[in-house]
Amino acid sequence: MILKILKHDLLKKKIITFAVFIFIMLSAFLMAGGSNMLITLNDSVDYLFEKALLPHFVQYHSGSIDQVMIQNWSQRNENVKRQQNSEMINIPGSKIFINSQQAEVDTVMDLSFVRQNESFDFLLNLNNQIISIDQGEIAVPIYYRQRRNLVPGDNVVIKNEQFEMNFIIKEFVRDAQMNPSVISSKRFVVNNTDFEKMKNQIGKTEYLISFQLNDPARISEFTNQYSQSGLPQKGPAVDYKIFKLFNSLTDGLIAAVVILISLLLNIIALLCLRFIILLTIEEDYKEIGVMKGIGIAASDIRKIYLSKYIFIALTGTIGGFLIYLPARKLFLKNIILFTGEAPKSILQLILPLLTALTIAAVVIVFSIIILRRFNKISPVEAIRLGINAKSYFNKNSFSLSKNNFLNANVFLGLRDVLMRFKLFIILFVVFILTTFIIIVPLNFLNTIKSSEFVRYMGIAESDIIMDLRYTEGIQDRFEQIKTYLANDPDVLEQGAFVTSRYRIINQEGLVENIYIQTGDFSKFNVDYLAGQSPAQANEIALSYLSSSELNKNIGDKVQIIIEEERREMIVTGIYQDITNGGRSAKANLPADYQNASWYNIYINLNSDIAEKINEYEALFDNTKIIDQEGYLAQTLGDTIEQLNILTIAAIIIAGVVIFLITSLFLKTLIARDKAQIAIMKSIGTSIEAIKIQYITKALFVLIFAIFIGTITANILGEQLLTIILSFLGASRIEIIINPIRSYLLSPLIMILIVVSTTLLSINSIKKISLADIKVE
Amino acid sequence: MREILKAENLSKDYLINKKKFNVLRNINISINVGDFVSVMGPSGSGKSTLLYNVSGMDKMSSGEVVFQGEKLSELSEKKLSGLRLKKMGFVFQQINLLNNLGILDNIIFPAQMEGSQDRKKVKQRAVALMKKIGIIELAENEITQASGGQLQRAAICRALINEPEILFADEPTGALNSKSAKEVMDVFHTINKEGTTVMIVTHDIRVASHSSRVIFMKDGNIIGEKVLGELKDLDIELKDREGKLSKWLLDLGF
Ligand SMILES: Nc1ncnc2c1ncn2[C@@H]1O[C@H](COP(=O)(O)OP(=O)(O)OP(=O)(O)O)[C@@H](O)[C@H]1O
Ligand SMILES: [Mg+2]
Repeated sequence: MILKILKHDLLKKKIITFAVFIFIMLSAFLMAGGSNMLITLNDSVDYLFEKALLPHFVQYHSGSIDQVMIQNWSQRNENVKRQQNSEMINIPGSKIFINSQQAEVDTVMDLSFVRQNESFDFLLNLNNQIISIDQGEIAVPIYYRQRRNLVPGDNVVIKNEQFEMNFIIKEFVRDAQMNPSVISSKRFVVNNTDFEKMKNQIGKTEYLISFQLNDPARISEFTNQYSQSGLPQKGPAVDYKIFKLFNSLTDGLIAAVVILISLLLNIIALLCLRFIILLTIEEDYKEIGVMKGIGIAASDIRKIYLSKYIFIALTGTIGGFLIYLPARKLFLKNIILFTGEAPKSILQLILPLLTALTIAAVVIVFSIIILRRFNKISPVEAIRLGINAKSYFNKNSFSLSKNNFLNANVFLGLRDVLMRFKLFIILFVVFILTTFIIIVPLNFLNTIKSSEFVRYMGIAESDIIMDLRYTEGIQDRFEQIKTYLANDPDVLEQGAFVTSRYRIINQEGLVENIYIQTGDFSKFNVDYLAGQSPAQANEIALSYLSSSELNKNIGDKVQIIIEEERREMIVTGIYQDITNGGRSAKANLPADYQNASWYNIYINLNSDIAEKINEYEALFDNTKIIDQEGYLAQTLGDTIEQLNILTIAAIIIAGVVIFLITSLFLKTLIARDKAQIAIMKSIGTSIEAIKIQYITKALFVLIFAIFIGTITANILGEQLLTIILSFLGASRIEIIINPIRSYLLSPLIMILIVVSTTLLSINSIKKISLADIKVE
Repeated sequence: MREILKAENLSKDYLINKKKFNVLRNINISINVGDFVSVMGPSGSGKSTLLYNVSGMDKMSSGEVVFQGEKLSELSEKKLSGLRLKKMGFVFQQINLLNNLGILDNIIFPAQMEGSQDRKKVKQRAVALMKKIGIIELAENEITQASGGQLQRAAICRALINEPEILFADEPTGALNSKSAKEVMDVFHTINKEGTTVMIVTHDIRVASHSSRVIFMKDGNIIGEKVLGELKDLDIELKDREGKLSKWLLDLGF
């Protein structure tokens, strides 16, 4: 009898049992892959940093430096292990041609030509070896290899009116500092002789003043010492924490998503399993009761079923792990390309196996819990009634005889869902999950794409942004541009801002550097998290990261050193900024040209933006001129593109999951309801009427699920995005929802899939005949 | 007399392990409006199969069934189920109530499926039927909370709810004690008097003696028919008809 039940169980539910197996397998596969990504990423980044001898602190500086002064200071400082000054030639994208195509016309990337460093901060090739370059050769950042599909042997030309130089690509640069596309500087490596030839002919020279510390943990102490040293600091300073964060961000997120999908699949597998077990109990209620009646212990019966589920869990997991082994490289492709491969650690081999096995463990524990219900079956009740009559609702309160308005078939569909909700939970939860999977990336994408998003980036909305970095005579150029714009009839309004480095007294009473943007903030303002822009001379607004690091809130006072005097300023507002590391301030101070780091002019036009950009580019040298859309496209372009792919993938995955689960569920349900359907048909209920009942069931569950799924997606999704972006300096992101896509199109697509899948899956109703009644 | 149902050379065979079993062989029968036909015969002779085939519930293998002038073999699945829903009532040997609905819901189910009727009136009719057949106290019950005989009677109410023109009943009294059986037969007698044609399968001579014609089946053939004529007075004629019938059945070897 036991064997008979098992055989019956497997045969009747062979499709859904197979589905459980597949889901467990995929879940184990992705879990192994995702965990391997995380561990490999961590190992590779560490290994890359070690090989490249990454600096712990880097100060960018435009202008000349006094090597001896820096060396002397370093020797006196007990924190410094090694110090190095590297010269870089910064060349505008419009003067670089890769395979005869301009590199990038109005790029936000700072493209620099360097030679290999001598003592640390090495630029590595794809084999993590220190690059050495002969004359006429060049090594190009991986970023461009990806963007332009470059191969060694391709050519790079730099030229301006008087100067031209040709290079052949030898290899690609894996740059521990500047690899990630979120970092807007990229380094090309050339030979020393070529470097000397280029110098003073093209571009402008910039320095990287790099330090390695004896104890990296004392980085903030060192940063302070440097900022007070009086050493060159015309440019931003960055430290190794940022390198690590940015190097891990993209792949870390992808790994997290892979693991998340694995967990979702696991949940779906568990739901299917629960569904199978419930059906089994319902169908075999009588047999199980009889077995109990003739004295077989419940635990013995349970063991038989459990052994089956343990078998499925283990074979599924092992299967998943076995597919993972050859597919391993696929997960790691991007990581290996950008960060290289570290020697294999034991953990890299064992962790994926362990995480995959946890999937099996979860499934087994879950089966044990659900199978407990076997204990509750009473032999007498089972033999007498044959069916499990329990229900959450009192059947009479939801009786057909009291239905005065609804179509009878719709009513019966609704009633069945409410009566047997336990069975429908699988469908319900899957629909909620898929709604979530669709809506969250859709909302993310819409938020990042929207023009309002720039305000989170710390940039005011405008048509054109001009960005001037320090060069000789910059102040005059700045004034010239302002005057020109003031006389240009196409310019509606302009706002000029100077960002200079000031010193501020931090929480511990120490002096710290801070970039303060000065100007008139009544126009071209950003969104404030709290408070408003500074109007008076003694007012200041802090970026979110500055305010949390300084622990200052609105109304608090901060001390700034201006012209060697401490001045007390009142915090009037806090805004979000994800540019330049997110630490900044705004104040209505007179511009400090002495310490100015960069200049920005925001312009609104009443004419064609692209034309204007061309005009200004021809007029103003050494000025980055970008339209806001272009700015977004370049800084967030990669992210948007990835997110676009992710959204499409999410919709496809969700669609497939909906299709699979809906059809599995309905096929199983129809098989289970065969006798009832046969009775209905025999007394004259039409096939259409029965179909309406089943479509109502699926749709009712779906609509309810979409409702709940959308609400949770809006709430949780916003928090999720906030967490991700808070790494970059934005603490509050308001999800911008496109109601047509999120509230109309995506539910409509889901409804369409569900209705058509339902119709397809319940077609077997046609074949149910009188003979099927006798089965019961 | 107007004909309501006719079977011409009706045959039904089942394929079991590639062997053909002729369950019905060239059945010819004609039933008029107002007839009360009983089908008798040994177990396995094809009585139920006959009911399934003349009601269009099962697909015949060959021959034809004509219901109210329409050839069933030519009707679509949809038309057929419409006929069964509106014009025919069916009581199954195995009862076949829907087990996720309560007793009352099972009874009004066909009326709600039909869709055009006033729901209040349907409910009133259901209550009246249940009263007449003696199960009114079960209206609120689940089908698990009733005995086999009670369920049989609920199934009869379901068959009658749409006021069919012909009622098919397969052993409607099989699960009933003699008192309930009599109540059921009284109901059948009444609806037949009111104009509904009745065709029932039974083993019980007392039940069969209510009918105007008795057909005897064996091995898929109709091997005899006894015309008893219309039953006018239940109390006086019944004994006499029973006697005639049992003699005839004895001759046929029943
Ligand atoms: N679906 C089926 N498949 C194969 N054979 C069938 C099927 N249904 C009925 N039969 C066979 O057809 C024959 C007639 O069956 P039917 O149910 O019509 O008999 P019956 O006269 O109603 O018997 P009873 O008095 O026991 O109800 C039987 O031999 C039976 O085994
Ligand atoms: Mg029968």
